[in-house]
Amino acid sequence: MSTEAIIRNYILENYLFTDDQSALNSTDSFLDKDILDSTGILEVIYFLEDEFGIKVEDTEMVPENLDSVNNIVSFIAKKRP
Amino acid sequence: MKSAAATLVDRFWESAASHADSLAIADSAHRISYRQLSELVDKVGGYLLSTGLQKGDRVAMVVANSAEYAGIFYGIWAAGGVTVALNTQAKARDIFNWVTHSDARWLFIDHNHPERKAIAEAGAGLTLVDVGGEEAGDAKDRRVAWQEVLECDASGPQIELRQTDLASIIYTSGTTGHPKGVTLSHGNLYANIESILAYLELSAGDSILNVLPFYYSYGNSILHTHLTIGAALILENSLLYPHRVMEKMAAEAVSGFSGVPSTFALLLSRVNLEDYDLSKLRYITQAGGAMAPALADRLATALPHTELFIMYGQTEASARLTYLPPSMLDKKRGSIGKAIANTTIEVRNKAGEIAAPGETGEICAHGDNIMQGYWKDEEKTDQVLKDGWLYTGDLAHTDSDGYLYIDGRSSDMIKSGANRISPKEIEEVIQEIADVQEVAVVGSPDELLGEVIKAYVVPKKGSDLKQMTIQHHCKNNLAIYKIPKSIEFIKELPKTASGKIQKFMLK
Repeated sequence: MSTEAIIRNYILENYLFTDDQSALNSTDSFLDKDILDSTGILEVIYFLEDEFGIKVEDTEMVPENLDSVNNIVSFIAKKRP
Repeated sequence: MKSAAATLVDRFWESAASHADSLAIADSAHRISYRQLSELVDKVGGYLLSTGLQKGDRVAMVVANSAEYAGIFYGIWAAGGVTVALNTQAKARDIFNWVTHSDARWLFIDHNHPERKAIAEAGAGLTLVDVGGEEAGDAKDRRVAWQEVLECDASGPQIELRQTDLASIIYTSGTTGHPKGVTLSHGNLYANIESILAYLELSAGDSILNVLPFYYSYGNSILHTHLTIGAALILENSLLYPHRVMEKMAAEAVSGFSGVPSTFALLLSRVNLEDYDLSKLRYITQAGGAMAPALADRLATALPHTELFIMYGQTEASARLTYLPPSMLDKKRGSIGKAIANTTIEVRNKAGEIAAPGETGEICAHGDNIMQGYWKDEEKTDQVLKDGWLYTGDLAHTDSDGYLYIDGRSSDMIKSGANRISPKEIEEVIQEIADVQEVAVVGSPDELLGEVIKAYVVPKKGSDLKQMTIQHHCKNNLAIYKIPKSIEFIKELPKTASGKIQKFMLK
């Protein structure tokens, strides 16, 4: 499964509670669309660290890296050269 | 010099006059001075009066923390109206429920609010002001563009307000048919804000980074303490990215910061406070539930020059009831302190007598800050207001010096982060699912949030009910923080012989 598919499915299942792929665009902002709250973002980080074997530094916790599926995909690609 | 003002609106006009060019509010869109804010208050007040507002009419608002929020809130007061500021995370059904219950005739709602369209389509009889938006309707559907308010040619509504006049209704839960609306008079809020200003020693030179929603009483008290004294509010509406919050706190060199225990747990879990220049941070306040002494210690170590005020209160008491002076933090670990000025607190045992030191009883409070009652609900009012005393439902004991320590709650409200949640609201929504036989919702302990929501569900025989189906239904009908984190399917709920669900067995 692609990185994008893994992340999409995780968000759909755990925060939108559906397997309907059309419920989430990969560019949707988690903040603006009220998909994640402040504890949700921490859960996402723990998931990314477990799933992709990366360490998300505190200073990397910014919307540019984490606020949409696409942002996360780019961030993971940078973290796993 | 003591102010001669009688209400917070009077105090605001005084601030606006004496600090006209000082920063009042900085939000994500703009930085506005007291002069600009007072102009906005004028326009909102003028608009409401010109569209028929009579003194005491309720005006609802679903507006995120912003300069507009403050302008609308004080504008409603300036016109003699009663504010009904609603939870911006709520879904349309709850918003309707509260608007209907309060008989509000105007609803100010953010243009980008996800529920705005649903409300606009169904909001017959309600004038809907599209805050920040351009959407005007015809005379029939009574939608008003924000520009219309901004262009209102009004000059300073001067409606005379008395301390006994109703100022605000704050809804604390949204169960169908029985929403709980705390009614606060201008005198209630004025008294409480005065007491808070005194112990925090706030002055016009102060500024706060505020992350708490203004629609809750804690955030509401922060809004008023600052605007009535000419201090500045720097707004940050999300804790999603703690690093950003800290950068802003340092860049703005704020003197204050307020949070609930989970605010500090979140910040300390992902941020190294020592990395930021917080030398101007004079004080921190914490309310909304007991903070673990270990967390308070970590804060004190990270911010040695910052005073930490532990506080306790209830919406029914306008906001604040007690505080622990920073100087007593070490000596009275785990205490919520003593009553604030102009408020009397007693811990009463089941016999109604004052409990002896060490004996657990209910916190009862008396003072000018205690609410008028629950809106249109005498029965619930009579349950908590007796002979002028508020029975808080919170259990506590005192030590031999009279310092209070919380022991628990006598109600089953769930406290998760900054939110107090009625399990009944969630049970009502889950019960709507056809395959659900029965449901019971409880708070389950959580390190970060204090409690998280857990639902025990008895599915109907032969059904293939899935956890995701329940959570999806909740997501569509409840605010995000009310969605159960976990769901357990069980064959039957534990009950007493008379059929009452024994929730304590599920915790």
